Amino acid sequence: MNVPHLHLILNHVPTIGTAIALGLLLLALFRRNEQLTRVTLELFCVIALLTLPAYLSGVGTGLALEKMEGISKEAIARHHDGALQSFILMVLTGGAAWLGVWRYRRVGSLSTANIVVVLVLALLTMGGLIPTATLGGEIRHPEMLAVGETAPTAPPAWLQASSVQRFVLDHTWVWPSLETLHFIGLWLLFGVIALVNLRLMGMMKAAPFSAFHRLLPWAALGLGINLFTGMFWVIATPEQYMTNISFGWKMGLLLLAGADLLYLTTFDGPWNVKEGDEAPAFGKALAVSAIALWVGVMYFGRMLPFIGNAF
Amino acid sequence: MNFIYQLQHTAAMDWFRESGSLVGYPLVLFLHTLGLGAVAGLSGALDLRVLGVAPRIPMTSLTRFFPVIWGAFGLSAVSGLILLIAEAEAKLSSPVFWFKMTFLALALVNMQVLRTRVFADPHVDSKPIGSQAKMLAVTSLLLWVAVTTAGRLMAYLEKGPIG
Repeated sequence: MNVPHLHLILNHVPTIGTAIALGLLLLALFRRNEQLTRVTLELFCVIALLTLPAYLSGVGTGLALEKMEGISKEAIARHHDGALQSFILMVLTGGAAWLGVWRYRRVGSLSTANIVVVLVLALLTMGGLIPTATLGGEIRHPEMLAVGETAPTAPPAWLQASSVQRFVLDHTWVWPSLETLHFIGLWLLFGVIALVNLRLMGMMKAAPFSAFHRLLPWAALGLGINLFTGMFWVIATPEQYMTNISFGWKMGLLLLAGADLLYLTTFDGPWNVKEGDEAPAFGKALAVSAIALWVGVMYFGRMLPFIGNAF
Repeated sequence: MNFIYQLQHTAAMDWFRESGSLVGYPLVLFLHTLGLGAVAGLSGALDLRVLGVAPRIPMTSLTRFFPVIWGAFGLSAVSGLILLIAEAEAKLSSPVFWFKMTFLALALVNMQVLRTRVFADPHVDSKPIGSQAKMLAVTSLLLWVAVTTAGRLMAYLEKGPIG
């Protein structure tokens, strides 16, 4: 299995996943089923998480494909632009859904405003994904096109990856500024994650887990800052990440760590750890591995220039 | 200062800087980053508590984090010192480095003041958090941002052998 293979598998997750999640959300609202609504919000979080490797493997596939004969670079670029804007919308959808899930834990009910925001963002994401999927297909499937039609058939996206790339490469202040923000995001995320997981490991038992749960949006903010800043680098210099084994490890560990953040946000296990309680053994093991996963993300991030070829 | 320049040119430091071994420069750089994550991160999380983010965490239960933070700071300091010796000439002549050290000293003093004035007060959890404590939490966050910014810019505003 290589990166293009991975992309061909993962590219279905955002498209089909969003369609199913949207259908479930409408069904849940129609049936006034709060539990189903909540599960659907969690599903949006998972889809958003898996859209990250779908997008990144697409960047890697584009780099490999560009070098081949008879492939339209414009079709690849147009597909990338569509994917980029769909990815941004998908992350916003997942972020909004995450806030809804987090709030549900705290107050025990869902917010109508939050559901409306998720619904609108999910519809926009779906609207972005449909042309993106078509453009992706057209790269290698001329049989999709009508007689006399040439790829790409969709109009240009409002955001172009090439202009993001030029923005980063043409201004010397951009890269160091992104680095600074990325490191501030790093400690914000890591500090909160460490504190919350240390509670599960048995420190500060005087307070229930729910008291620490309040801090989680700050970890999410750190993660958001780092996703935002990291994207600029991938778009600006894709070669140095796509052929970099450190980057592969970093992203793999990041997905697991992200899944753990969702676990801490919504699962009953940690939430039921009351004042004075020890977390169950499984919860403790997850807490230890969560910290280890984030340390691993940091390690392979720092090793990008040393094990891999990034600067 | 001469002593530190001599250290920079020892065989051990040449190996550390130039061997390309993963247990040389890259490992120490990673440990320095981990130290930043733990020191600024935990200190920042305590600041968020002082600012009222998670009011049900008793402040008294957080006092035991200060030794943890100082332990992590030990890791940062030792790894930082090795990184400094490896590129002593470039770092010590760089104003950004001295800005970083100044912000760092202020951030650590700020943290200790928060510890003794706010967290160590046995009645801290039975009264509202005062505006002075909140101000200290804000300056603490700003100082860690300043330390991080100066630290990151050291790689760009001075010419070391390794970016």
